[in-house]
Amino acid sequence: MLKMIHRKIALVLIVFSFLYLLMSYQLPEYPYAIIDADFVPKILGFLLLFLSVLLFLSKQKETEEERKKRNIPKADIVTLLVVCAFMLVYIFLFEMIGFFIMTALFIFICSWYLGYKRHVVNGIVSLSFSLFIYLLFNYMLQINLPAGILPF
Amino acid sequence: MGSIEGLMSGFQVALSLQGILFVFIGVFVGTFIGMMPGLGPISAIAIMIPITYSMDPAIALMMMAGVYYGAVFGGSSSSILLNAPGVAGTVATAFDGYPMAQQGKAGKALAIAAIASFIGGTVSVVLLMLFSPLLSSIAVSFGPVEYFALMLLGLTAIASLSDGSTLKAFISATLGIIVVTIGIDGQTGTARFTFENAYLLEGIDFLIIALGLFALAEVCTLIFNRNEAADKEKNEKIGSLKLTKEDVKEIKGPITRQSFLGFIIGVLPGAGATIASFIAYITEKKIAKKPEEFGKGSVKGLAAPEAANNAATSGAFVPLLSLGIPGSGTTAVMLGAFLVLGIQPGPLLVQDNPEVFWGIIASMYIGNVFLLILNLPLIPYISKVLTIPRPMLISLVITFSMVGVYALSFSTFDLYLLLIFGIVGFLMRIFSFPAAPFILAFILGGMMEQALRQTLTISDGSLSIFVERPIGLTLMIVAVLVMTVPLFKKKSWNPAKKKTDAA
Repeated sequence: MLKMIHRKIALVLIVFSFLYLLMSYQLPEYPYAIIDADFVPKILGFLLLFLSVLLFLSKQKETEEERKKRNIPKADIVTLLVVCAFMLVYIFLFEMIGFFIMTALFIFICSWYLGYKRHVVNGIVSLSFSLFIYLLFNYMLQINLPAGILPF
Repeated sequence: MGSIEGLMSGFQVALSLQGILFVFIGVFVGTFIGMMPGLGPISAIAIMIPITYSMDPAIALMMMAGVYYGAVFGGSSSSILLNAPGVAGTVATAFDGYPMAQQGKAGKALAIAAIASFIGGTVSVVLLMLFSPLLSSIAVSFGPVEYFALMLLGLTAIASLSDGSTLKAFISATLGIIVVTIGIDGQTGTARFTFENAYLLEGIDFLIIALGLFALAEVCTLIFNRNEAADKEKNEKIGSLKLTKEDVKEIKGPITRQSFLGFIIGVLPGAGATIASFIAYITEKKIAKKPEEFGKGSVKGLAAPEAANNAATSGAFVPLLSLGIPGSGTTAVMLGAFLVLGIQPGPLLVQDNPEVFWGIIASMYIGNVFLLILNLPLIPYISKVLTIPRPMLISLVITFSMVGVYALSFSTFDLYLLLIFGIVGFLMRIFSFPAAPFILAFILGGMMEQALRQTLTISDGSLSIFVERPIGLTLMIVAVLVMTVPLFKKKSWNPAKKKTDAA
């Protein structure tokens, strides 16, 4: 029964709509409103539930094109996860170390990891791009990006 | 203020040194980003929003309009040169544009595309100028009932018309509204679905959604294909840009027809550049004397979708400017750009901020001229962007998205959210859930909820109010029809399928 991918997705969505409805019913009441804050969420919850059930029951077969889109080689998934990890580290250290250093490092390491071989060019681009954005935001647009451990 | 005076004052803003400079920057950056495979107008506008934070609204929006049609044009160039459409709206351009490039006529193809875009864009700006104030004057009398019905119509239309499964598109739209219910409710002050997290009280900013679902999700696809392209050096020989007299004669008809048709399709909710360009291609093929030439490098087959997609691009501004309701994913992001700058588009825009309204229209004329000037001689150089190594491009797009989001709120919490929505966007992409209904629903969701609750508060909770107002009722009926008909019809309208027939 669950071999078809759309059924699996539909189940996830059904569970999600139940959770959402559950939370909608727990929203505190506001005594003076004719239409309270939980009105629309409840409609949405039931709507999503209804649509997900339709999706579960739908007999439409997956096209070849869709199947191809879904099948991703393991190596690519690993690459994606590694890039995600880079991003997490970047976000985590962003305010501590500062925009300039972190961004330059991120661009250099990420491009290198994804297979860019010309290290000198990579270094120049990552440094100059980060510096350009930093100056653009801090001095021209007056939006202060975190300086971090650098004095400027 | 009359249209002529308004336009004159608009030109004053647009033709100031600053105005010209920023329209130019907008068109240039838009073309640049639109050319990159996969990055379309939505990503281009979203990436540029942070730049506008401290700018004068009129100038900023003129720049954004430039980004928008620049991106549409950039997509055409990569369609022609590499058969790699940057955006769905330019897929049809590749049908005849790429064969022309293969025959060594890339220069001519680009010239035709630029001219067709220019005419399509200009014709439709004129129409936009005539129609928008008219629609605004009708829309002033609209109350929450009509607005709710209109937005519902826009949402159901985009869900029904997006490619792939209609059901999935509706689920995508519903999820979009669900995400917007996070945060403090504007009417009662109740904190909804915030999980006691102070960062969520104000809700999730649309830029996070736009960059996550579009730019970052696209990055994932770029990561998979990072070793393709780039090495394929095909665009060495662009060839002459000149058109012959026969060419001009051939493309005159299609360009004129499709400029008008494209505009009308662009105005309709849910339709847009993609549908306009496919319809243009198909109708021109049907009425052509030699339909067999289509797909083998016909100048008509190239000119028609190009005129149509640019005409539709400006057409999409009609509902945005005059009603304040975006009809497509791209104009939804445009609306976000408006709101960031504190401008509320809608029937009152012409009265309250005439310099913005007419400035945008004037900037579109200028932008179209720039597109022509910029693209004809510079294309060989701009197309170098296609040779930027993919790994580098990926890193740059990621950092730019993150900087944009950080500059919005100065909190790293939003950056984590961005990553989450990037993953959501990626999952939606691999499981064939269209993202455009999600972003439109997200933008419209808050307004829809407000309109619905206002309506029901006026009527004291009675649903009969929806039946009592004739305009509202008509719109509701159309919306319900648009929603139900495709759900119960087996075959949904699918541009991808048409593509195989047409190609």
